[in-house]
Amino acid sequence: MQALTLKDVRFRYPGMSEWALDIPSLEIQQGEFVTVLGPNGAGKTTLSLLANGLVPKSIKGEFEGSVEVFEHPAPKYTVSQLSTLVGMVFQEPESQLFCMSAEEEVAFGPENLAVPRDEISRRVEWALDLVGLKGLNDRSPFTLSGGQKQRLAIAAALSMKPSMLVLDEPAYALDPMGRIELYSILSDLKAKHGMTVIVMERDAEDLVEYSDRFVLMANGRVTASGPPREMLVDPGALRAAGVSPPQMAEVASLINLRRKAPPLRFLTVDEAFAEITINTHHHSKGASH
Amino acid sequence: MIPRPDADSEDRVIFLRDAKFTYESGVEALKGVTLVIDKGEYLAVVGGNGSGKTTLAKHLNGLLRPTGGQVLVMGVQASTRTVAELARVVGYVFQNPDHQLFCRTVHDEVSFGPANIGLDGPEVKRRADRAIAVMNLSDIRDRPPLSLTLGLRRRVSIASVIAMEPQVLVLDEPTTGLDAREADELMAIIRRLNDEGTTIVLITHEMKLVAEHANRVVVMMDGKVVLDSDTRGAFSDLGLLRRSKLLPPPVTQLAHRLSQIGVSKDILTPQELVFELTRGDDQ
Amino acid sequence: MTGFLDLYSEKDTFLHRLDPRVKLLAVALISVLAFILTELLYLVVLLCFILLLLVLARSSYGKAFFALKFVVRFMILITLLWPLFDRSGAPVLFSIGPLDITEPAVWRGATSAVRVGCFATLWYILMFTTSQRDLVRALVKLGLRFDYGLALAISFRFIPTFGLTIESIKDAQRARALELDKGSILRRSRNYVSILVPTIVYALRTADTLALTLQSRAYGAFSNRTYLREIRMRASDYVAMTVVVLILLLPALAKYIYGVQI
Repeated sequence: MQALTLKDVRFRYPGMSEWALDIPSLEIQQGEFVTVLGPNGAGKTTLSLLANGLVPKSIKGEFEGSVEVFEHPAPKYTVSQLSTLVGMVFQEPESQLFCMSAEEEVAFGPENLAVPRDEISRRVEWALDLVGLKGLNDRSPFTLSGGQKQRLAIAAALSMKPSMLVLDEPAYALDPMGRIELYSILSDLKAKHGMTVIVMERDAEDLVEYSDRFVLMANGRVTASGPPREMLVDPGALRAAGVSPPQMAEVASLINLRRKAPPLRFLTVDEAFAEITINTHHHSKGASH
Repeated sequence: MIPRPDADSEDRVIFLRDAKFTYESGVEALKGVTLVIDKGEYLAVVGGNGSGKTTLAKHLNGLLRPTGGQVLVMGVQASTRTVAELARVVGYVFQNPDHQLFCRTVHDEVSFGPANIGLDGPEVKRRADRAIAVMNLSDIRDRPPLSLTLGLRRRVSIASVIAMEPQVLVLDEPTTGLDAREADELMAIIRRLNDEGTTIVLITHEMKLVAEHANRVVVMMDGKVVLDSDTRGAFSDLGLLRRSKLLPPPVTQLAHRLSQIGVSKDILTPQELVFELTRGDDQ
Repeated sequence: MTGFLDLYSEKDTFLHRLDPRVKLLAVALISVLAFILTELLYLVVLLCFILLLLVLARSSYGKAFFALKFVVRFMILITLLWPLFDRSGAPVLFSIGPLDITEPAVWRGATSAVRVGCFATLWYILMFTTSQRDLVRALVKLGLRFDYGLALAISFRFIPTFGLTIESIKDAQRARALELDKGSILRRSRNYVSILVPTIVYALRTADTLALTLQSRAYGAFSNRTYLREIRMRASDYVAMTVVVLILLLPALAKYIYGVQI
């Protein structure tokens, strides 16, 4: 099944002459982990808000085309209804947590959906556990670290039992360890729970290992889309598109420039280590002593 | 290395001697930090959240005052100077530009600092114009700062600090939220400022940024300086970086793994690594 | 700066366990009692009772000291100032210039001070033993619309965040050599604009994200929303409620039916 299908979608903010989004076609499959890469102003946020109907229902503008969420036409449903299919996580950890305890934060969605109390209670425990915040039910979100805040925001979306998570630069304010924890939780959600995950990012580095597919955006348009190996091996093209390439891709392309042998195509440290130790002979002498 | 207090201080712009700081809540954020910063350095202060790096930085311009030990700025006890006086010497750019911007035009915004330190009209204008030129903001000098993109807002906030022509510029996570192009542009400008003699203190947890730009790295952990070395040295101890909740760039991780085939561990950039790897091929 | 908002501490005392609605009722009824008592002696007895409750609430010394400091200062102020403004009655104890200080006024001042001490300490006990979220729950349960309850809860939640942001904004401007309290009135008001504008911008941005978040969490989807935690009256709550009602009722009966001077 397709989790998200855009057809001939165009959206323009009031008073603007340029389309903020202009996407003839974009399809995301159920269970896919997709990273949407693009520089600031490429339309990533607008695209993310489209997924649960906030654009154009709440943020109004000129809209045309069709958006389907798990094969339901989005315009026919309210944001609340779509929220049971699509969980949203925004950039700023601070302003999307508004309750006085972690538990209330996670319970808020199901409470609004009039879910019975016992079931809410189960979902709260389940969601807090999934994001690694088990036992912190009574902690004030204010006292959590940045990474914990973003994970709590994920739990608050998960408790509405969505089949897809859309995250708009969730690592924006996080330190490196916070980013790694966040992305590995998302990766687990996909692997163990079949969650469809769409992450908007500016930097490919942290997501190389987790993503099934990268979608490149620029000026409201999707400029390319494909698996990491196709999308990330050309650092020059990525730079031209305004995003920073993974360092390993840079290493590979620099090596390829200097060698006549078949090109190396690694993206992660593990792959690089394996390929370089196989392909590089001249250093092996050095290893013997 | 413990700097000798009596050492020649001609080039010494900042000297922290066993500086301690305890917040009112009782949290000991600095547990005795000794640090000398010389004129013209490009220093990165790195550490995870809660390591004390921001607390340390706020001592450099007097926003925080040590509860023990001393802070000397240009050889003068910082405790005898107000923040406004120190701001002429040590510029501090906050992470979030929106905590600073409030004026109607970029030019007004950049003039705010120089006017605050009591300069006369023509001098305020001269400095504002220069800062605007340095930060490549001339085309948008009459635009309202709040209407600009984040990349430009950050540049305006830096311009508004360098307009006071400080000798030391402290930058707290200057690339947060910027895309590759915006970050590259900004770091190039900062590199130029450093080349022209401004001492740069970069507060960050982005090790890629550190590898590419800094000459010297101070690693903070738990309110203490656990490493103070040139940049190359800082990247040769991965264990220490990990303990400090820092993530070495992939290329450094790879270099360390490849050290078994003779690659050196202090690799900072992809170019360096590839140069080492392919040296033999060219012969 | 968040001292007044950070009064609650997690403890396990009967006051903490009490239904917040009963506590609100108790604060109201005992305040009424403090109001109808006019004899200083009885008011002092009441204040002692309230202070006993404060001890039973087992609030930390730091917080209790912080709170009582204000109460005591206020009581001293009332005791000293009352006779200056209330000059009725005789005998005159002494005169300060044109002001006659009369004995009944001194007593009335002391009485009012103790009364205010009772009101304030009661509120502090409520704040020491009731989390903000229980308070909001109680208000919603007592009929406050959920929207307003949520708005109140959100304000409580964001006060410390706002405090930190304003501190950061102040620091950011001080780093640009801003000296808030220096210069002419015009200069000073401009100085405050440099704090105010970023604060408003921050508030608006926060509100924007908050609005999107609330919608994404199905806020307002059903009118019959459920609640994970319901506050429920237990036997002990009914006992406490009865005791509180009697504490007011008996003295009130004595005073208004039997005419006892209290």
